[in-house]
Amino acid sequence: MILRRKQLEASVPSMAMGDIAFLLLIFIVLLARARDDSHLVWQPATGTELVKPANQNASVVIDKQNITYLNGRPTLSENLATELSALLGDLPPGNRTVLFKVHKDVIAEFFEPAIEAVSEAGGELHHVLEPSPNKPN
Amino acid sequence: MNDIAFILIVFFLVCASVEPEDGRSQTIPRSEKNEERNNSQTIEVGLTPATVTIDGTPYHQEQFESRIQQLLSEKKTESERVVVVKSQADVPYEHWIATTELIEKAGGVVTLLLEEQHTMIVE
Repeated sequence: MILRRKQLEASVPSMAMGDIAFLLLIFIVLLARARDDSHLVWQPATGTELVKPANQNASVVIDKQNITYLNGRPTLSENLATELSALLGDLPPGNRTVLFKVHKDVIAEFFEPAIEAVSEAGGELHHVLEPSPNKPN
Repeated sequence: MNDIAFILIVFFLVCASVEPEDGRSQTIPRSEKNEERNNSQTIEVGLTPATVTIDGTPYHQEQFESRIQQLLSEKKTESERVVVVKSQADVPYEHWIATTELIEKAGGVVTLLLEEQHTMIVE
């Protein structure tokens, strides 16, 4: 009696590939969100003649709770100048834009030291605002 | 189903990345400390939550705009056009940004006057 050798088929399960890609994508999205500041709650003040920044090298956010964030991570305002200096390094003028996103009701006690820190670090301040509803933009 | 989920996630990613970044660029020279300031030519704008003053005189918003334009038109050099903004600690950002916008539109260069804080320990 001749027994035939059983042919084993080795194939990549293509159905699982989609799931793997999906999980990878979620992982990358989560990583990306941990680095940016889109999760922070703040409402911009209004302004006119608004322009887009040519580039952005760092972002400083002061949220509703008066907490200062540098690139999405909480920081103390007294450390902001040092951390920004390290971040901006020796970048040439024109490439040192710091997006400044402050909740409209935050008081001077919190935002003025942050402005001072950006100035001290040689950053180019760009206040992020929303168009004024009653004035032409 | 996977393809649909994938396309949906890409769509949400693209939507999330379009954050508003419009705004106003501002060049702030290094702030002045109280004791360093001795230039009597400089215009000083004082801000409280409800009022705006120029060299101690209070103005309404519309009056302030015309007065600052008038004062700055008399200044020739950039160093003369420096406007020192001194805000009370409780001035909201919205008020500050609106006032500095008017100053910059009038040709002024905004600089901040910060109160220095000293901590003294009494034994």
